[in-house]
Parts: sequence; C-alpha cells; structure tokens
Amino acid sequence: MTLRKILTTSAAAGLMAVAGFAGSAFADIKVGFIGSLSSDTGLSTLRGAEMAIEELNAAGGMNGEKIVLVTADTQEDVTEGVKAYEYLAETEKADFIISGSIDDVSLGWMPRMQEYQIPTLDTWTSSISIIDMVVKDPELMAPYFMNIASDEALATLYINFGADVLKKKMGWDSVVILAEDTAFGQAITGLVTEAISPVAGIEVKDTIVYDVGTVDFAPIFSKAQATGADFIYQVSSVNSQVISSQYVKLQVPMPMTGVNVSALGMEYWEDTGGAGGGISTLSPVPSVGFKLDPVSADFVKRYQAKYTSRPKMPHFNGFNAYYGLKQAMAAAAEVGGFKDAKKWSKAMEKQDLVLKLDGKMSLRYGFWGKDEVEPVTKRTYPHNARFDLTAPYDDAQPSMVVVQWKEDGSVGVVYPFEFATTEFTVPSWIKK
Amino acid sequence: MNLRWHHFALWALFIVGMFALPQFVSNGTLRTMIFANFLAIFAISWDTLSGRTGYISFGHPFLIGIGAYTTAILTHRFDFPVEISIPIAVIATMVGGLIVLLPALRIKGSYFALVTLAMMELVYQLVQVVRPDLTGGTRGMSGLPTLTRGAANGYYMSVSLMLAIALSMWLIMKTRLGTALSAIGMNEEAVSGSGLSVTKLKMTAFLMSAFIAGLGGAVYIHYLGSIAPRALFDINFVFTIIVAALIGGAGTTIGPIAGAFFLTFLLEYLRPWLPGAERYMVYSGLALLIYMYQPKGMWALMTQATFKSKIRP
Amino acid sequence: MLQVLIQGLLLSGLYALIAVGFTLIFSVGRVLNLAYGAYLLIGGYAYFYFAQTLGMPKFAGVLMAGIFGCVLGLLKFQLIVKPLKGNHVAIEISTLILAVFLQSTVIFVFGDSSKILLPIIPGVERVAGAAIPFSNLFAAIASWIILLSLWWFVRSTHMGRAMQAVSMDAKGAAISGVDANRVNMFTWGLSGALGAIAGVFFASYTQLYPGMWVAPLIIAVAVVIVGGIGSIIGTLIVAHIVGFLEILTSAYIAPELRGVFTMLLIIVILVWRPSGLFGREEL
Repeated sequence: MTLRKILTTSAAAGLMAVAGFAGSAFADIKVGFIGSLSSDTGLSTLRGAEMAIEELNAAGGMNGEKIVLVTADTQEDVTEGVKAYEYLAETEKADFIISGSIDDVSLGWMPRMQEYQIPTLDTWTSSISIIDMVVKDPELMAPYFMNIASDEALATLYINFGADVLKKKMGWDSVVILAEDTAFGQAITGLVTEAISPVAGIEVKDTIVYDVGTVDFAPIFSKAQATGADFIYQVSSVNSQVISSQYVKLQVPMPMTGVNVSALGMEYWEDTGGAGGGISTLSPVPSVGFKLDPVSADFVKRYQAKYTSRPKMPHFNGFNAYYGLKQAMAAAAEVGGFKDAKKWSKAMEKQDLVLKLDGKMSLRYGFWGKDEVEPVTKRTYPHNARFDLTAPYDDAQPSMVVVQWKEDGSVGVVYPFEFATTEFTVPSWIKK
Repeated sequence: MNLRWHHFALWALFIVGMFALPQFVSNGTLRTMIFANFLAIFAISWDTLSGRTGYISFGHPFLIGIGAYTTAILTHRFDFPVEISIPIAVIATMVGGLIVLLPALRIKGSYFALVTLAMMELVYQLVQVVRPDLTGGTRGMSGLPTLTRGAANGYYMSVSLMLAIALSMWLIMKTRLGTALSAIGMNEEAVSGSGLSVTKLKMTAFLMSAFIAGLGGAVYIHYLGSIAPRALFDINFVFTIIVAALIGGAGTTIGPIAGAFFLTFLLEYLRPWLPGAERYMVYSGLALLIYMYQPKGMWALMTQATFKSKIRP
Repeated sequence: MLQVLIQGLLLSGLYALIAVGFTLIFSVGRVLNLAYGAYLLIGGYAYFYFAQTLGMPKFAGVLMAGIFGCVLGLLKFQLIVKPLKGNHVAIEISTLILAVFLQSTVIFVFGDSSKILLPIIPGVERVAGAAIPFSNLFAAIASWIILLSLWWFVRSTHMGRAMQAVSMDAKGAAISGVDANRVNMFTWGLSGALGAIAGVFFASYTQLYPGMWVAPLIIAVAVVIVGGIGSIIGTLIVAHIVGFLEILTSAYIAPELRGVFTMLLIIVILVWRPSGLFGREEL
C-alpha cells in the first residue's frame, strides 16, 4: 500500500533530520535567523545577515571560527514565533539570534530570550514597550538590542513633518486619522494624536479605526471626507496596500499621508499595479529613494548581483541586519565569543559605525547609552538604535524620513529637507 | 465496565515511557513534545465532543480561548495567583461555553459546525474591540506569569496534564456513559428511543470537552507567556486540532494523542527542508491522503494491520 | 444617503457573486464545501499569473481563472466528494484540509506576500460623493445577471430541472432517469468556475494573498445560511442584507465592528430558523 510507503518515507525523513541536526552541531559560531521567510521584510533581514556572514567568513570568520546561519520561520504568527525561538535555542543551539520579527512576534518570544539569555538583535520591531522592558530590567534584557529607532522617535519626527510641511507649506489645519486596529496602529495613533495639535498646530477632527480585514474602504473614505478635515493621516501596517490602492482606484478627493508599511519596498509600484501614485509614508532609514553613502551603495550593488528574486532592494532592516550582524561579531571577537552574554552586551553597547556621504554624516549604527537622555523626547533609549530628532542631524541619522511615490512610478524622500530628493505634492485628481 | 489488566499494564508502560523520555532526548525535541502534548490535550477535548457524538465543532478555539483569556486577564490585570485563576478559567469555560452553545446543541450536522465556526469568528472580532484595556485588543497580552522554566520542567508539566486527562477520559469512556456517547454518534434516534436523555448526554459530553479545553487553554497560555487573538481564534488552529484527532483516530483515546505527536513532529522535521509555511503542503496533503483512505485514522490502520497479520500465519 | 445606497449596492453585488457558486453546491450537492473559498484563491492567482505576469488580455485571464476553477471543482467532486458518498461530516473535514493544502501550495508557488490586481475595467465615476469604480459596477451587474439567469436556468431548462430533482431527492431522481453523476459534475464544475471568477473580482477589490479564502467562505456561508438552501433569490436578497449591514455599520456605528453583525446574524438564524429565511426545511 502506498500509504505505508508514505509513512515509512516520512519516518525516514525524520531520522535524517535528527542526523542532520547532530551533524550541524559541530559548526563553530551559529547565527540563528528568526522572522518571516516569505515576506519581503523578513527576507531583507535574512539576506542582510547572509551577506555579512559571507564577508566575515571570507575575512577569516569570528576570531578564526567559521560562522554559519540557520533559519526558523515565524510566519508572522506569535505561537510559531515562540516555537521558532525555542528551535534556534535548543535544537540548533544558536550563539546569536538576529530577528526580522514584527512587534507582536517579538513580544511573544521575549520571555524565551529572557530565559535563554542568548544575544539577540532585532532589526524590524520598533515597539517602544520592548525598550521600556530594557529600561525596567536592564539585567534580564542585557542580551537584547534593537537597531531601529523605536515608535516614539518615529512619531516625534513625524510631528515635525506635520509642522514644517503639512501645516506651513500646504496650509492644512485639520486632520482625520484613519488607523488600523492593531498594536502598531494604536501605538502610533496615540503618539500622533497627543502631539500633532500642540506641536504642529493641526487639529484632529476625528479618529476612525478600521479592521484589517476590511474589504471595502469606500464608506470609510466617505466618513473621513464628511469630517471636513484638510487631509487624512493613515496608520496601516497590515494589508496596507489595500487601503492605499483603493484610495487611488477610488480617486478620493482628499490628500492622504501617514504610515503605509507596504510602500516601504521597491516592489510597491509593481505590487499595486501602479495604483500607488501620490501615496506617502514615513520610513525608517535608509528608505527607498534615500541617497546612499558609498559603503551602503556597494552593499546594495552586491545584494542585487546575488539575489534575483524579490525584494530587489533590501528594506531598511536589511541594512540593519548587515551592519548589526557585523557589529555583533566584532563585539563577540572582543570578548571571546557569545558565551558570556553580559560581557558581550557591554561590548555591543560600545559599537559605533559612522558612514559618510560627501564628507557629511549619513548613517550611524550605534546605540543609546543606558543613562543618556534624548533631548527632544526627554527619555532614555537603552539598547535602541541611535537617532537624531533635530536638524541638521549631525549626531546620527533622523529616526525616519517621509517618502512619496509619484504618479509616474518614481519615489523620493520629501522630508527632512536635508535629505529630500523631491517635493511633497498632492495627487493630480485633487483640485486645489 | 470492560477493563482488563493488560490495559492497565499498557497504560503504565506508556506513562513510564513518557516520563523517562527526558533522559534520552535533547531539549529541542522536548520543546517540540511540549507543543505536541498541548495539541494532544486540545485534540482529546475536541474528540470528546465531536469524535464521540458526531457533533463536529469548527470553533473549538472559542472554548480554549475563554479559558486562556480568563486566566490571562485575571493574572495580568488583577494580579490573581495562577493557582486560583486557572480553576476560575476552567469554570468560566464550562459556564460560558454552555450558555452560548447550549441553544446550538439542538441543531444538527453541518449547521452545528457552522454555528461554532461563526461563534469563533464573532469572538475573534469582539475580543479586539470590547474592552481592549482588559483583553489587550489586537495585540493581546505578553509577559504573563509562566508556570515553569526550562525544557524538562515544561515537558513534565505538560505531559502529566496530558496523561491525566487521557487516562481519565479513557476510564470515563469505558463506563456506560462513554458507550452512550458513542451511540449518539452512530444513531441519535436509537439512543433517545432506548429511554436515555440525549440532551443530558450531549450536555455532559460538551461540559467534559469544555473542561479539558479550558484547562488546556489556561495552562497553555501560562506556558507560552503571551496570548494573541490572531494566533488563537484562527481557522488554521481549528484545522490542526481536528486533523490531529482525525488522523490519529477519532473516537479513541490514544488516537488524538498519536495524531498530535505525529503531526507536530512532522512539521518540526520538515523545517530544514521547507522552512516556511510551505511545510503545511506536505502536512495537509498527507492528512488528506490518510483521511480519504481511512477516515478512522492511523489507529484503525494499525489495528487493521496487526489484526491481519494475526490471522495470516 | 444616496452615497450609502450606492456603496451598499456595489458591495452587495460582490457578495452575491461570491455566494452564487456556494449556493449552487449547497442546494444541489447538499454538502458544505469548505474549500469553496479556495476557488476564489485559485481564480485570483490564475488571473494574476496569466493576465498580469504573462500579460495576456484581461478577458483571457478571467477565462483562465474560470477554467482553473472548473477543473478544480470537477477534481474535487471526483476525488473527494464522490468517494465519501454523501458523508457530510467527512466532506466538510476533507474540504477544509484541501483548502489548507491549496493555500500552502499557493505560498509555495507565489510566496506569502500579497499582490494587488489591476482593475479589470479601469476608471471611476463620482455620483453624489460616492465613487463608483467601473470594475465594481461591472462585478455588481454581473452578479445580478448571473444569479437571475441561474434562477431561470434551474427553472426552465432540462439540466436545471434535473438539478432540482437531484437536490430534492437523489434516489427519486435516479429512478426517473436523471443521471445524478452528470448533474453533479455539471454543478461542481459550474460552481468552481463561478467561484474562481468571483475570486478575480474579489481580489481586484481587495488584494491577492494566500489566506484570502477564509473571508469569502464566511461571507458565502453567511449569505447561504441566512438565505436558506435552494433559494437563489434568497441568496440575492441576503447578499444585500449582509452587504448593507456592513456598509451601514461602517458608516454609522464603527468600522471595526464591520463583521460582528454578520456573525450574529448567522448564529441567530441558525439557532432560531435553521432552514434560513427563504429556504426549505431540510438537511
């Protein structure tokens, strides 16, 4: 019977798998990747790490030890994320874990990180609540680092965009917030609502929360228009191409800007079939349309030579993974490996990489000190990526930039002005 | 009661074997087995209601979710100790489940399945909008108190719970009650014709199922340390539970356990080759083949095989 | 007001289109095909592949989607439904497994990230503050035409009456010379093709992603359950109830409660009147 054959084959496959694990246990330094293996953002982190490892091994590895990469898929699911972390920690015995997880997934496996105390670097989560954990319990969270600016910094700089561009240049006085019903949506909406009126002088007329499974946004856009606000502020991370492509397809006669995670990748134009013109979003740096320093440009060039499938350009977290992994290995080389997580943590805190473009600071990969208070938000960000919230951005890069897709399919940075490559405009169907 | 000494000997052997396991396998395997244990508990719970009586529940995460959310909210928001919150969660699951699904137990077949499916979807949507200050909304809650630390401890906890539930269900199913429940699955009219109250029997099966689901859900969440609606009230979760019970063998005690272990390990061992969600292709393809070939599951396949080899010298 | 009316009609039209194929199977085959959503999934991806990746004309893309759906429906009937011989529970479970199988196959072939389809008919017209994309208008009108012609077909043609006969009493139909197998094959193929075409419109309304079979399945279940089995006109009416309920909730209550009332409606109807509002007392 074929069935029995299937059962024996799968049993054999199981045995082979056991043998496979045992075989790979002899590898020297093991880096575990945790994240979605099928999303563009997850792949960015993975490939950034792959390229860094390749380079490090070509240069002799970490203190002469070869570095190998193992992966565990989270499928962007919290439970799968916990399983994946356990797999990396216990079956693969990873020395270091690099993560391309979304907020909820990172929050899910965080108790496991605390238990195993494996040095871990997050490149995609920006959840401020995780940074708060580091503030609250620096001992327990010592092995954890996040090299993307956290939500609070993203939102703060966004408010400046509101003041400098939306209010001053466009002359808009009121906004209606259109936010998805997720953790990310709640966090960003809260931060923006609190500050946009006192700092930027833009009145919040209404906040409309929508379900991420929404099929038809027409009534929601109608509701937004009925508030009489000057523009829509969208907060969308899950299925965000649906709301933005319907905005374009319906030609909603009201400007819209905000956060649209799907517009962060080079594939956005292709994915929306061109229904993406006029969409703008805040993006951590380096974003699409961002002028790159020579080192990063070279990274992108080699990336494109190596990978032919999407994403054709790494997202910001691909850069974070590439530089972050090298920093993690440098820190490990200093203290003799990853075994002593506390020692490694101390060395990692001191990592600092400055990349220059035309003699000026372009990107800086470093971390905030434990007691360093960021002057604008007046709080500490231990183990969080270093960022700068005030022009001329000479301490580090801004926490984010605003990028806009034009109706001809091009994309550029519109804010901060120091980094702008194009100007913020409204879609052609909106009559001024 | 149809009990034989060799049944108990087999159980003893099984229990001893399961408890000795941490001496022989790696921690990574133990972690996988923990998830298999929890899946086995959920599959037993599903089987108690659906496998035996034939009332197919497509919304079992609804019950698991009541237990999980009750204890999560009590411990996280009101600082209840786990020893108190878990029993409350179990009672809440039984009472809550009964209030909501009691009216549904009078409808049959596909309609019952659909009500449970709709129920799960409804709770999924409500839990995100009603009192998100308590439920944590879409994000759920993390940093819940965990019962154990380390792979071996987690394994002992989950395997004890699973074995205790399995053994009790096996004993209960050996009584007249168990026979009557299986009879409902075969022919409900005949059972009511023989003077038994079908409603009472269905309610008993439902309460037992809810008890196990609530207990399993509550302990599971204190093992994971976090709870998220998207991972819980998910049709893929329903799918995993049902497939585990059916592939192993519905209507038996060992079946759901065997199914849960087989499928959890299958998924885990496919990881090196198919790291992503494509693993479910093999998983579901295999499940479909087994189910189409023998709807009674692997248990039936194996007993058939041994039976055949016995009569053929 | 007019705006809500327009938006409601458009969305309801789409929902009706989604539910048509499901109604057909539920009333003739009498089985709950939980893999129905997978027709939409396969249809959407087939259209994406042929029309958007290979650049075939849009009409050819829709046609290919229909063919894929039809073949899938026939395979499903031959390989799963027929061998299980009317065991409802077994069919529900195996179709659920099949849906997950198809979902992971799509992930394997196309990856997990979602895709946006180009509008099938580009262009948009504004009436009373409501935007009417031509694609959506076409989907709504097509769904009415399909449902009404189906109603006519079932009533007036030989095949239609055979379908009715099989749906009411398969044995009786066999005795009076109806080839139930042929009727079933026809129904499953048609249902698959309709589902796949609905998938193209559904995906162009929203997006294309591997998990997209769940939402339309639930819509279809809601429409068919509330409408009642065997009632094509019931399907059309209830699709409008569900569609308008959603639009009204979004417009006047809260967009995040969008689906809650639909679920409540299903539960209440099932418990209170399992035969649906317009259906026969059976199953």
